[in-house]
Amino acid sequence: MSRRLLLLIGAAVALLLPFAVPQYSLTIIIEALIFGLFAMSLDLMVGYCKLYSFGHAAAYGLGAYSAAMLLKSLALPLPIGIVLAVGITVLIALPIAWVCTRSTGVSFAMLTLAFAQLGFAMLYRFKDWTGGSDGIDGIPRPPGPLGITWFQGKLGYYYLVLFCLVGSYLFCRAIVRSPFGAVLSGIRENEAKTRALGYNTRAYKLATVVLAYGFGGLAGALYAPFAGFASPELFFWLASGRVLIMVIVGGAGTLIGPILGGASFLVLEHELSQITDLWPLIFGSAFIGFILFAPQGIWGLLSARIAGLTPAPARPTAAEAPDAAA
Amino acid sequence: MSFTGFLLTQCLNALSQASLLFFIACGLTLIFGIMRIVNFAHGVIYMLGAYVGYTMLMLSGSFLLSLLLAPIAVGAVGMAFERLFLRRLYGRRDGGAYLMVTFGLAVVLSEVIRLIWGAQPLGASIPDFLRGIVLILNQPFPLYRLFLIALGVGAALLLWQFLERTRAGLLIRAVSQNSEMVHALGTDVDFVRTAVFGLGCAMAAFGGVLAGPLVTAFLGMGTNVVIDAFVIVIIGGMGSFLGSIIGSLLVAFVQVFGSYYFQDLALALMYILMLAVLVVRPGGLLGREE
Amino acid sequence: MPLLECKGLAKRFGALVAVDAVDMAVEQGQIRAVIGPNGAGKSTLFNLITRVLQPSSGRVLFAGEDLAGLPVHAVAQRGIARTFQLCHVFPNLTARENVRIAAQAREDGRWRFLGGGGVLGRSGTVADAALERLRLTRFAGTLAGMMSHGDQRLLEVAMALAQQPRLLMLDEPTQGLSIEETDRAVEILRSMLAEGDLSVILVEHDMEVVFKLAHAITVLHRGRVIADGPPEVVRADAEVQRAYLGESE
Repeated sequence: MSRRLLLLIGAAVALLLPFAVPQYSLTIIIEALIFGLFAMSLDLMVGYCKLYSFGHAAAYGLGAYSAAMLLKSLALPLPIGIVLAVGITVLIALPIAWVCTRSTGVSFAMLTLAFAQLGFAMLYRFKDWTGGSDGIDGIPRPPGPLGITWFQGKLGYYYLVLFCLVGSYLFCRAIVRSPFGAVLSGIRENEAKTRALGYNTRAYKLATVVLAYGFGGLAGALYAPFAGFASPELFFWLASGRVLIMVIVGGAGTLIGPILGGASFLVLEHELSQITDLWPLIFGSAFIGFILFAPQGIWGLLSARIAGLTPAPARPTAAEAPDAAA
Repeated sequence: MSFTGFLLTQCLNALSQASLLFFIACGLTLIFGIMRIVNFAHGVIYMLGAYVGYTMLMLSGSFLLSLLLAPIAVGAVGMAFERLFLRRLYGRRDGGAYLMVTFGLAVVLSEVIRLIWGAQPLGASIPDFLRGIVLILNQPFPLYRLFLIALGVGAALLLWQFLERTRAGLLIRAVSQNSEMVHALGTDVDFVRTAVFGLGCAMAAFGGVLAGPLVTAFLGMGTNVVIDAFVIVIIGGMGSFLGSIIGSLLVAFVQVFGSYYFQDLALALMYILMLAVLVVRPGGLLGREE
Repeated sequence: MPLLECKGLAKRFGALVAVDAVDMAVEQGQIRAVIGPNGAGKSTLFNLITRVLQPSSGRVLFAGEDLAGLPVHAVAQRGIARTFQLCHVFPNLTARENVRIAAQAREDGRWRFLGGGGVLGRSGTVADAALERLRLTRFAGTLAGMMSHGDQRLLEVAMALAQQPRLLMLDEPTQGLSIEETDRAVEILRSMLAEGDLSVILVEHDMEVVFKLAHAITVLHRGRVIADGPPEVVRADAEVQRAYLGESE
């Protein structure tokens, strides 16, 4: 089966899916795609740059709350609201990234956690704006510019999210295969050496963090108008933990692994949480298992078995395979 | 209340806070000294101590008994975790693996606590014999907090003597400095590591049991505490026992006086402090250069 | 004007003086060897020049410019490439990619996020040439971590070359190499120098290599320069013989 054919089948499935599944499933699927996007955003940091973040929920939360406040109080068209929310997230991410990249390793992780905790606390402190522990609800999905309304319904929203996910993936893949991405793999392999070659590694790391926050913010901004509300739990450390686990289990450094892993996780979580309360425990234990025995994650394992499955943008030279598909 | 009265009360508050922080921070720094890893699960271990202590209190009716037994139980859990999981990572060059595994432990423990004890905060209260007010220089001060201060000072002295004077303490310090050498001399370094990890967890749990009646155990208590502990260890120096004492005092005073004078900034205070220290001295004030 | 000048360079770690008032100059097109017993301060000197460490006192001038206050990557950008004593390559990338990333550092377009085909192509060409030079072309597609130690060291030299430096600093390049590999390395270095506008500082323990290649030798002992001059002069210096040459071999 050639790769092109697989891709075509995949695209057909993605496009026709909403018509094949019942409405309530579609809600879960949309959330799964959003979570997949969120996981992919963290992969940029963790998988490509070894920047372990314990606070990535902050990106999601910032996107969600920005979108919530913009859409609710300014009644902007939905796409504009989302774009602006991403912009705000990126702006706030700049000083955060600047501070965090001053350190490495554990200190970096702790700083990211600290910022997420700070965000969490800020939500309670400024509860006139953020609704405190109740959060913001009643977030609308206003019609777009020029009277476009197809994304207001669930079906349309599915295509909006799909479009954002695929677009973000292609963008990230291009980044990772570019000269910029090559430097990231150098940093990942040996940062001191990369510096000695003449690269300002701090600047690259900063850019990666801001990018990761941008895409994470996009996921959050897509979530808020879909769910209709945003609450402080979005910033909670366990939320950061979930997405981090998803990246590792899915397969860090592959982009696809975390997307699929994140999406599957959300679906599994929804199904299994109705059956058993032990689900998070199983999941956390599985995480430890993966770190110990299969650190390359599920997608990493699969691509080791089936050659050419992964875009594997981090390993071979992009110049050698400029038109390798997938 | 006069100014000196106010000052005295706040200082005592800070001291009791420092005690609590010390129990957690010294465990973290000991573990770092011996294993070169930051145990991210330390906050949740502290939380586990609070919950287990509460249960033991309910079962036995004796606070002192729970204060003794809970740390032992949690210390054993820690040792099991080290033996089963952390030990497998010793060969790996990748520092990220340790971070992830201790993070995984934090998540798992968090869930286990939620499953066993539920999501509602615990209603632990100060045991009767420690309730009450004591007058110090005519200022009222809770007896329980004095008890905390006494325990903190006592534990610090005990541990200090243990590390400096006993053979076991010497061994621990030796392994912190140069584990290969100690191994070559015939000591079972692996066992020392397991033991110290257990000791560190036991200390954190000890702090948790004591904190239970004060802060009311709840599910989020581990996270902020681990950040506090991390800041303390950074300030005092990764792996420095003395540093954990100094750091705990510093942080406690900043927290207590800071939250009084700068109420609005109170939240951000810890993070600003952490930032400032990390910017100035990534290795901490007393610690080894990385 | 010498390409590189160290003036009164010193580094203290508390009470330990690793490098003490070192003066050294490297002329254009010159190969200068830095030798000395273990612990003499050679690697520290390298770290001071490349700004991995900040000097306690003294200055480093490169092409007349004071390197004070510059971060490591800026020093590399100015045309200084170095290899490390403990071999530093990117183990999970192919040999070609290792060298290509080194070559890319000289390009302006490396910040390009998307596309960037021109940059990738050009740096790829430079990388291929460097690999060819070091006779490593057959390893182009091999993961660097899988290569033998000797080949990895040569790979590191290829990476340094790909940076198209004006000053090449090699820290014990022949350490761990077989006699054959050492000969190959020497021959390659010689031919590189014959053509290009390259200057080299070489830290070496292998005296044969030193006397084959060096135009000038600086001898360090306990952080200080005890001799400095052409090989015949240094060889004959009594103090050097006492401190160093008498001990090894």
